[in-house]
Parts: sequence; structure tokens; C-alpha cells
Amino acid sequence: MAMVVDYKHDSSFPYWTSIRRRFAPDSPFFSSGNIERELLAKQVALDFTEDERNQLEKMIDTDARGVFCPIVGCGARLTLLEDFEDHYNTRHTASCSVCYRVYPTSRLLSIHVSEAHDSFFQAKVARGYAMYECLVEGCDLKFKNYKGRQQHLVDKHKFPTSFEFFKKAHPSKKQRLKNQRKRAVNKKDEEVSSKMEVENEMMEGLVSAVSKLSTSDSSPSTVSFGRRNARGLTFVPRSVQPPLQKK
Amino acid sequence: MADDFPASHRRDPIKSSVGNVAAQRRRQNAVTVGKERRESLVRAKRLCRVGPSGDGDVPGEENDMVTDEEGFLLDAQTSSAVEDLKSAIAYQGKGAMQKRVNALRELRRLLSKSEFPPVEAALKAGAIPLLVQCLSFGSPDEQLLEAAWCLTNIAAGKPEETKALLPAIPLLIAHLGEKSSLPVAEQCAWALGNVAGEGEELRNVLLSQGALPPLARMMLPNKGSTVRTAAWALSNLIKGPDPKAATELIKVDGLLDAILRHLRKSDEELATEVAWVVVYLSALSNFATSVLVKSDAILLVVERLATSNSLQLLIPVLRSLGNLVAGDSHTTSTVLIPGHEITDGVIKVLVKCLKSDHRVLKKEASWVLSNIAAGSIEHKQLIYSSEAVPLLLRLLSTAPFDIRKEVAYVLGNLCVTPTGGDGKPNLIEEHLVSLVQRGCLSGFIDLVRSADIEAARLGLQFMELVLRGMPNGDGPKLVEQEDGIDAMERYQFHENEDLRNMANGLVDKYFGENYGIDE
Repeated sequence: MAMVVDYKHDSSFPYWTSIRRRFAPDSPFFSSGNIERELLAKQVALDFTEDERNQLEKMIDTDARGVFCPIVGCGARLTLLEDFEDHYNTRHTASCSVCYRVYPTSRLLSIHVSEAHDSFFQAKVARGYAMYECLVEGCDLKFKNYKGRQQHLVDKHKFPTSFEFFKKAHPSKKQRLKNQRKRAVNKKDEEVSSKMEVENEMMEGLVSAVSKLSTSDSSPSTVSFGRRNARGLTFVPRSVQPPLQKK
Repeated sequence: MADDFPASHRRDPIKSSVGNVAAQRRRQNAVTVGKERRESLVRAKRLCRVGPSGDGDVPGEENDMVTDEEGFLLDAQTSSAVEDLKSAIAYQGKGAMQKRVNALRELRRLLSKSEFPPVEAALKAGAIPLLVQCLSFGSPDEQLLEAAWCLTNIAAGKPEETKALLPAIPLLIAHLGEKSSLPVAEQCAWALGNVAGEGEELRNVLLSQGALPPLARMMLPNKGSTVRTAAWALSNLIKGPDPKAATELIKVDGLLDAILRHLRKSDEELATEVAWVVVYLSALSNFATSVLVKSDAILLVVERLATSNSLQLLIPVLRSLGNLVAGDSHTTSTVLIPGHEITDGVIKVLVKCLKSDHRVLKKEASWVLSNIAAGSIEHKQLIYSSEAVPLLLRLLSTAPFDIRKEVAYVLGNLCVTPTGGDGKPNLIEEHLVSLVQRGCLSGFIDLVRSADIEAARLGLQFMELVLRGMPNGDGPKLVEQEDGIDAMERYQFHENEDLRNMANGLVDKYFGENYGIDE
């Protein structure tokens, strides 16, 4: 039986270790068994039907297993753990109608749309206005360039150095084919796509410049925060001028 | 004179009701099950509705669900019954004792009728001091029995009602002695069991007033409903969180023997309550755990797991096994040695639990397996090559969340070597590769997507094993195929910093600049 000996034990990742786990008798781990005990004991006395018992268990279960949404700034109460996936898909997958990137809040989506698809935005940037706003709600600082904002996120808000708000350099082959197909579908407005591609190139130029300056050793270049994914609701904030302009 | 009841009469403390009407009304009620009802159902207290000679109203149709009007009437009747008792006690003339017993009986009947007896009314009318008087030494058995029965049901409900029994406790304990008739002792044990079931504070009162030794002695006979009631009361009494009572209990002369005897030979109902005693002994007291591990307890528990199909028995017996494995490293290292018959037996019964329909059994059996899988390499190999793995793999994709989490622990533990002195476990490549090939990765990635911090952590840790340990650098590709990158990306705006760092670290390391270029 071959065993892999690890040569890079980097202390920051908590590796899986197999340890015995013991629980106190009043631990929540045991509560469903305890409840079952009492219900079974009374079942004979009160002659519950199977149905009644299941209903009761469900009700007790719900109380115990509520949880709050862990996405920053959300705090929505989820009655059952299972609800999280639905909640996430409904509330945290705001998708850009232009490039299909997905963001966890509508605010971030709207920032993305401004930065990536709005020529007015780019025009103002070119004139030296501080247009890149901080992604953390309530911070309100603005920066003249993407890199400046990025640095601020890392320095002030402890974002990981690998974080990239806008990124797309090496999607997987499957993804690249998918994207090609999507672009073919959207070719109806050539103006838009060419404009978009110009913007993308500009972005990519910026981004590749940024990555060369980046302080971390290996910034992820394939994984972007808003990745191309047609999942979730399509959402275009009304506050942003849609880039679809026929000439 | 009073009814004579045969002392050894087998007693069903709870009797089934047979009313269709009652069931219907309950069904209606169940739809609007209120908080109060729910609380009462999961309490560790038990109402006594049938006496030792089968005496008492059969919980019947008219009685079970009380309307508001009926409730009002019941309260009035109860108050007047207490008044009757008061005057019966004051009365000194001829036939005084019969008068007292009749009055007690009437009150007892009112307190045994429905699921929610008129306790408040009884307390308001001043029942407790009267009942305490009826418990005085030298009173006839029937009087003692009825008084203790009333107190039992008064204590079966809300916290403040149970606490009202405080003045009666010393006498109830006194009547547990060998000089008392069995039914009386049993009824007193029942009342005390309800008091103990209330909470830590009352448990401490009971312990300081010496409730433990007489209750423990009541467990020594071979059979009888008294033994069962005493075992149940003890399980409430020692449940802590202070381990002192549990440690004291195991030291009682003859008690370990009695426990083993009951586990080995007694009927399932008695074995169930004794098993709960073992649950609390093994969960709280290290001393008790080591005593039990050195005895035949594990063998007997495995035997019960193998032969019984009663969920009521299986739950505490499985948990006892779990506590004995979790609580003492000796269990896995010296008793459950891979290759020995007892170890095979344990794996077999755990597999049986995994196959069952019951959620609690599947979850706790997985927990036990995860602890065995945290043992030596031989233990991991034993589980890996057993029937458990295909079952676990299926559970990982289909079972409810809490089961999936425990299953994840088992599978992950199978893939790493025991944690050595330097704290750096290595991978067991053979196990990891096989499990991943059999499709477990998506189950772990699902855990990464959950809102539960512990589960997400497990998922990320397993992903790290895959990314690091799959041969030929296959890890990243496999993770990507299962949308693992997507799952990790969600953590960029997650409020938990540890998880954020873990996810980002993995993305940085394995899906960096050069990923996918050579495709």
C-alpha cells in the first residue's frame, strides 16, 4: 500500500486529521436520539400514528436546525439547512446579462456592469476620476484604478491577495467552447460585441499588468470571481445604462 | 379494607389507548401542535396513568383531549377533591383511614385522566402539604401508593410544578428502602425520576438527600417493573452534567453485575432502561467507562444490537457502544483489535444500523465507525474492506444532512494515516483513490456548499486531500469536473475568515496561473 509522504506541509492549511470525537450527553449531537427516546416512550401511551410522530419530529427538527446565511451582509434566517442552496441561488447569484458573470449581491453586480460594460465609466476613468469604488458596503472609498482598489481591499479589508473582482484569462476548454457558443448567439448586435471585446481587451491589458505587479506568487488566473455562468437570475440594475446602443 | 394488590404483578406504566375519536381529535390537534405540547412530549418525565394492579382509568376517548369547558370543570373538581382530602386528613374518627384513601384516590384519578392533568389547580388548592402528610411513616401501603402517584403526576409537567415537590422529596426517598412494599417503592421512584428529569438543580438536591444508593439497590433484582422504573429514574438522576453521580453509581456494590446481567438476559423493555443508564455512565464518567470497557459490556451490547429490532432498545445500546469507543482509547486499542471476533461483530452490527430505516441509528453508527476509523491503519483497512463502505458512499449522496456529515468523517478518516507525534498525517493513497473513483467527491463538495461551518470545513479538507493526493496530478481536474472551483469561490464573500482562507488557499495553490494551459 503506497503512502504519499508530503513534502510541503504548509502550516496554514488545517489538514484532515483523524481523531476520536466524544460528545457530552447534553450535546446537540445527541438531541435527535433523545427526542426519539421520549417520543417512543409516550407513543405507546398516546398511541401516535406514524404520521403524527413524523410531524412532531419535523417540527422539533426545524426549531433546532435553523441557521443564518453566512454570506457577508446577508444574515437571512434559513429555517432548515437544506434551504441554503435555494436561498443562495435566489439571492446570491445575480448574473450579468451581458457577459453572464455571476455575483453574490446585486450591488456587486452593478459595480461590475459599470466597470466592465459601461463606456461612460471608462471615459471618466481616462479623465482621471476616482471611479473604482470599494467593494465593501459602507466603505465608500473610490480609486482611480483597478489596482488601487485591489490593494485597498487587501490592506484595509483583509481580502486574500488572490482575490480578483474581474478576471478571465484561462477558462477551461469546456468553458471556452461554451463561451464561443454564447458569443455566437449574441452576435445579433455586432456593435455591442465588438465594443465589449474592446473593453475586454482593455480590461485584460489592465489585468495582466496587474497580475505582473501582484505581490502573491501565484495569483489564480483561471478562476475569477465573476465567472461565466448562466445560472441564477439575470439581473440588470436599472441605474446603469445598458450598453446596447444601436448606431 | 383497601384493595390488595399482588406485589409481583407485572405493571405497564403506560397503557395504549384505543379510541378512534381520541386519535382523530389528536390528529386535529397535531396540526396545530403548540409549543406547550411539543415541550411536554419531549420531556424526560413520564405521567403515570395505570396502577400496579391494572388499576386506573384506561386513557380513553372522553378523557384524552380536554376542551376548554371540560378543563374548567376538571379544575373545579380537582380543587374540591383537594378540599375533601384536607377534611379527610383532619378527621379523626372511625374509618378515617378509608376516608383518606378514598379522597386520595379521587384526586389521583383526576390527575391521571388526560395528557395535561389539572396540576395547577391542585397546587393552588394546596395539595402538596397534604400529600406530604399522607407520606408519613407507618401509613398504610395503599395510602402511600396513592399519595406517591399523585405526586408523580404533579411532577410530570412544567418546571415550576415539578419544583413544587421539594418538600416531599425526603419522604419519597425514605420509602425507597427495603422495608417498603415493592409497588410503593416503585411509585416513589417514579415520582423521583420525574423530579430528576427536571434539571441539574433538582438533581443535585436529590443527590444531596441521598437518593442514589436506594435507587441503585432497586436495580439489583433480576426482574420486575420496579427494576425498570428504578433504572429509568437513575438514568435521569445521573445525567449530569456533573459526572460525580455517574462515578458514584458504578461504584455501588453489585451494580456492575446487575447491569451486565440485565443486558445479557432481561426482556427488551428492561434492557432498554438499563442501556440508558450505561449511556450516561459512559458519557460522563471516565472511571465508569474504563470499568465497563474491561467488563463484558461491549460484547453484550453488540449481542443486543445484533439480535434486537426494537428501535427503543437499539438507540441506547448503539450509543453506549459509541460512548465506550469514544470515551476510552483502550476500547479500540485493546478490545476491538482488528482480526478478533468481537471486532468483526462490532463492524457487523454497525453495518446493520447503517442499513436500517432510522435516522438516529444511521447517524450514530456512522459516528462510531468514524471513531474506529480514527484508530490504527489496521482498523482503517478493516473498515475499508467491509460492507460498510458501499453503504457509506450511498448515504453520502442520498441521506439527510446530519447523516452525511458523519459519513464524511468516516470516509475522510479512512484516507489518512493515524496522527502521529509530529501531528502530520499522511495520505493512504489506495483508499483515497478508490473512494474518489467510486464517486465520493461530489458528496464532499456538496458539504462545502452548505451553510454549516463544520461541514464546509470537512468538505474543504477532503478536497485538499484529493488535490494533493490523487496520482498523476488528477486532483485539480477531478475537482473542477464536480464544480469544486465554483463551490470554493463562494467563500470569497463568506463571513467566516478561516473558511475563506482555506478556500482561497486551495484555489491559489491548485488553480493558479498555469492551470489548464497544457490542455
